[in-house]
Amino acid sequence: MHAWNFAPVWANADLLALGLLNTLKVTGAALAFGVPLGLVLALMRLSQRRWLAWPAGAVIEVFRTTPPLVQLFWFFFALPILIKVEMTPYVAAVLTFSIQSAAFFAEVFRGGIVSVERGQWEAARALGMAPRQVMRRVVLPQAVKRMVPAFLERAIELMKTTTLVAIISYADLLFQTNEVAQKTFRPLEVFTVTALIYFAVIFAASTLVHGVERRLAASGEGLAR
Amino acid sequence: MAALYRWNFAPVFENAEVLWAGALGTLRLFAICVVLGLGFGLVVGFGRHAKAPWIYLPATAFVEFFRNTPVLVQILWFYYALPILLPFQISPLTAAALGISLNSAAFSAEIYRGGIESIDRGQAEAARALGMTAAQAMRRVVLPQALRRMLPALTNRGIEIFKMTTLASAVAYVELLQQGKLLASLNFNPIETYTVIAVVFFLCLLPLVQATYALERRLGRSDA
Repeated sequence: MHAWNFAPVWANADLLALGLLNTLKVTGAALAFGVPLGLVLALMRLSQRRWLAWPAGAVIEVFRTTPPLVQLFWFFFALPILIKVEMTPYVAAVLTFSIQSAAFFAEVFRGGIVSVERGQWEAARALGMAPRQVMRRVVLPQAVKRMVPAFLERAIELMKTTTLVAIISYADLLFQTNEVAQKTFRPLEVFTVTALIYFAVIFAASTLVHGVERRLAASGEGLAR
Repeated sequence: MAALYRWNFAPVFENAEVLWAGALGTLRLFAICVVLGLGFGLVVGFGRHAKAPWIYLPATAFVEFFRNTPVLVQILWFYYALPILLPFQISPLTAAALGISLNSAAFSAEIYRGGIESIDRGQAEAARALGMTAAQAMRRVVLPQALRRMLPALTNRGIEIFKMTTLASAVAYVELLQQGKLLASLNFNPIETYTVIAVVFFLCLLPLVQATYALERRLGRSDA
């Protein structure tokens, strides 16, 4: 029988805390870039102009149908040679996950925009608004409300995906766990604690999302995927 | 722009057999995880649908735990932590298959449960009134209809599983990305190697993705 001993984990709690902070940092940065980029991609894809719609569609499909780890390797190992820049694991991670999550956010935005009834657009146009005004004043405010649950779910997925940065040696929670496990020879305890930390953070976030979802459903909104 | 990079794919294709070995490893892991993940997911999905708390509660705990932790953490836990509790070693394939299968089981359980609950209760009741047992009503009446509705969500899960297989490279299982790492470090050509790997994944998954879109459109037309 294995004698569990969590003392070495607590002794290194500061390293794990730093890791969690870095995980949140990558997630936050990828969200900050990914959401606006996702909106731009969605608007491009919905555009009537082929030269806008087609590239946006290609970016979305490529980033949705290739594994995120392959994308990360490409941005970390291949891109720096191609454009001759220094690439840190942090920059590679933020770049990859911003574009990758933007591809998914774009589909959430598009679903929300398309779900707003066509009649509203026509009515707003008939009132004399320019297409850009209709989008900003009429369609987006309603669409955004419907997109909230799908959007938050994607953000949670993004946080889970950021664990991949540990593979290119960025000091996120998972990487720090590996370090502590090697230092203390207590992989069972360290990995178990880390799994529980991730569970606590992500479960709290999902519970919050379900609460928002129920509120929106009660107010007759929601349901855009 | 000074000195444009000169692409050279020849070394990648000269080592095609290395990548081929990786592709076989990817396919093997994918097959194991699809069968175990979607199969065990059905069992857990029934568990979530059950009324008895001693079935419902463990099934719910399982689903919540595996849906709310990153799959890479699960794989590494099975690889580095679990062997300490067991009298034997765990191979990279076993660790990756356990992590990905259990994670997929948790996600697909919710698909099955949602599908089963989307079928009007009256149908199960009518089947029972005709003298079928609960199991027969489920197998003959509810599941065939529910499965049709679940199909796009299940093929999406399959696509996710295919993408997740790359995580097995973190425990040095021989799959496409792992072999790509090997080639890139041997030939010093990460650009061409990782580009080829990305293209291979894209081409493998594109038909599945298109099929899923088509299924979604068809279901959207035929019934709600």
